[in-house]
Amino acid sequence: MKKDTIDSKIIELIKHDENISNSEISRKLGIPEEEVEARIRAFSDTRQKILIVDDEMDTLLPLKRSMEAEGYVVAEAYDGFEGIKKAKDEIPELIILDLMMPGMDGIEVCSRLKKDEITRNIPIIMLTAKDEIRDKIKGLEIGADDYVTKPFNLNELKARIKSVLRRARI
Amino acid sequence: MFQKYISRNNRWSLLAIIFLCIIVVTFITVLGIRANNEVKNIVQKQFTDQQLLLSRQMSTGIENFLNERTINIEILANSISDAPPPDRIISAFKNVYNSTNGIYVLEFVNKSGIVTIGYPEENTPFGYDIYNQGNPRNEPISEDFERAMKNKETYISSPMTLLEGGLGSFIWTPVYKDGEFKGMVLAIIKIEDISNRFLKNDDSSGIYLIDKNGMVLYDSSEKYLVGENYLTFLNDTNPLLRQILHEQINGEEGTGYYFEGNKSDKKLIAYSPIRWRDQQWSIAVTSSESEVGALIYSVYVKQGLFIGVAIGFILLGSLSIIILLSGWNKSLEIEVAKKTSELKNSNELLQNANVKLTELDRLKSDFISLVSHELKTPLSAIRTSAEFLESEGNTDTKVQKEMLANIIRNIDRQTHMINDILDLSKIEAGKMEFQFEEVDFHEVADIALENMEQPALKKRSTISRDIPDMLPSVYADREKLVIVLNNLLGNALKFTPDGGKILLSAKKMDDSIEIRVKDTGIGIEKDKLIKIFDKFYQVDSSSRRKTGGSGLGLSIAYGIVRAHGSEIYVESTPGKGSTFFFRLKKFCKQ
Repeated sequence: MKKDTIDSKIIELIKHDENISNSEISRKLGIPEEEVEARIRAFSDTRQKILIVDDEMDTLLPLKRSMEAEGYVVAEAYDGFEGIKKAKDEIPELIILDLMMPGMDGIEVCSRLKKDEITRNIPIIMLTAKDEIRDKIKGLEIGADDYVTKPFNLNELKARIKSVLRRARI
Repeated sequence: MFQKYISRNNRWSLLAIIFLCIIVVTFITVLGIRANNEVKNIVQKQFTDQQLLLSRQMSTGIENFLNERTINIEILANSISDAPPPDRIISAFKNVYNSTNGIYVLEFVNKSGIVTIGYPEENTPFGYDIYNQGNPRNEPISEDFERAMKNKETYISSPMTLLEGGLGSFIWTPVYKDGEFKGMVLAIIKIEDISNRFLKNDDSSGIYLIDKNGMVLYDSSEKYLVGENYLTFLNDTNPLLRQILHEQINGEEGTGYYFEGNKSDKKLIAYSPIRWRDQQWSIAVTSSESEVGALIYSVYVKQGLFIGVAIGFILLGSLSIIILLSGWNKSLEIEVAKKTSELKNSNELLQNANVKLTELDRLKSDFISLVSHELKTPLSAIRTSAEFLESEGNTDTKVQKEMLANIIRNIDRQTHMINDILDLSKIEAGKMEFQFEEVDFHEVADIALENMEQPALKKRSTISRDIPDMLPSVYADREKLVIVLNNLLGNALKFTPDGGKILLSAKKMDDSIEIRVKDTGIGIEKDKLIKIFDKFYQVDSSSRRKTGGSGLGLSIAYGIVRAHGSEIYVESTPGKGSTFFFRLKKFCKQ
């Protein structure tokens, strides 16, 4: 069952009976009660959403935990195609994009996002192990808003995220 | 087209060369003719000067001879003026005759004109009466007798024909005693004697002698009769000779030329006068101009011979130099061609080397960039995790453990990567040490399969073995062999989807055993087969992320197997799986 349809069904059930319990919804839709709870929390969640696109699970995980600790909602994608799809589906406030990825690399993902009407305004911070100047220039040319090289300082990344988000709000 | 152009060009060159040759030849010919004419003129002048000198010398000789004789005769006449007896006169005559050769006869003519005494007697016409008896030319010699008597001084008559034949000059010297005429001494000098004595000529030139009337006294060419008048032989068409004769008769000295016979024979002439009291003669030396030509020709022949020999030597020398130089040139050309081809070869080698170096450089930078990425990625994960733990102190233990596990995992990964890189660099530098010994392949397989147990379990894949019990032991480095199997099995596991099947098998061959690792994985495209042993190469670079691993495993395995004297071979069908296999030598006791 697709996520969207589950969400819309939950919303329908709540509209029908405002006092319906989570366990009841869980039973009606055949999904775990915890998921129902998480989804309902997500509806009312006003926190900013960040999409992290990185093929390295080990890099992505601490980043995700860190962002969550900062109070962001985190969506994750493990390659470029998944990253573009999630960006369109979830419309995050910010995307952290790894440059060096198999299949479709970060630059390609970035330029596709910047060409798309729906995603063009989402700010992007590029992450990469490469630290050559020409990659920075190339990354910025295709519309990346900032650039952080691996291994990065977590606090620096956090500061940059805040700064980019503030800029985007204006 | 090109050929045509060449031939036309050649034709023009040929024409130009011919034209140039004609100009040069004409120029040289003109110069030669001019030079020849100048030489001819100079030689002619020298020649006529020589002729003049010769004629002058002869005229002086003749003059001295005749005048000397005349004086002798005058002295003789004086000595007999007191009318001595005839025997004394004869002895005086004899005396003079013997002391001066060249006088034909000495006679004494008495007052009446009769020859009374003479010496030598055989030349004396005794009793000859100059008044009554004539002479062959019927010239009245009595006139000469009387002229001398009247003038009381020696008179020399023009040469005339003698009774005995031949021309002779009569010298009349009167004998006076106190103004009284006693008689006359008559001496005759034959022209023949003069000519024999003085007029010696070589074959190339002619000499003639004429008197002041133009009578021929001597002609070496014997063309003209002696005693005849020269002028009568000349026709009016020879004005040059006439002019010359005119000058001769006038007693002048000079040189000139005239033409003889048909006008082709040009004669050069030099003439000098002979003055002898009343007589005035002229002697002339003539030469054909062709003599001058012959002289010049002989000079030219000698010069030509010299020049010819000189040119011959020069040509010979030049030819030998040219041959020598062309020999050098040829060897030089061969040398140059050789060097050029060597240069070309080394150039090609350098270019190839450069291409290889460029490729190597590219591979190196690719390798470095990959290594840098591979090393930074775990570091990045470790750092982020550690920073997270540091800053977020109050997170729940579950997340903390997750982060710590992530750190440990990435440290292991980093260690593994560094070990692999070190191993590979050792293999590549040929510094990896091998300890070859007798190895039971079962033991090696046991260790390798145990190592792979956990990873296989995670992927829910099975690794089975098919190794005969009675497998001969192999000659190998035990630990390195374990690494090879680990890497091949790990590689198979990585590229086989969850729940796949992997088989490690060994088979006895003639003098080796063959080890195979077969998987049911994704397989390898044919064109990528040769690259899979390259450092960090993974068919799709995404596979490394998905599968983990340094990407160096196959390279290391390959290096180790090569050190064992074999190669790793691979058979693969995309989508169905791959089989890696290699051989190990049987151990034999020695």
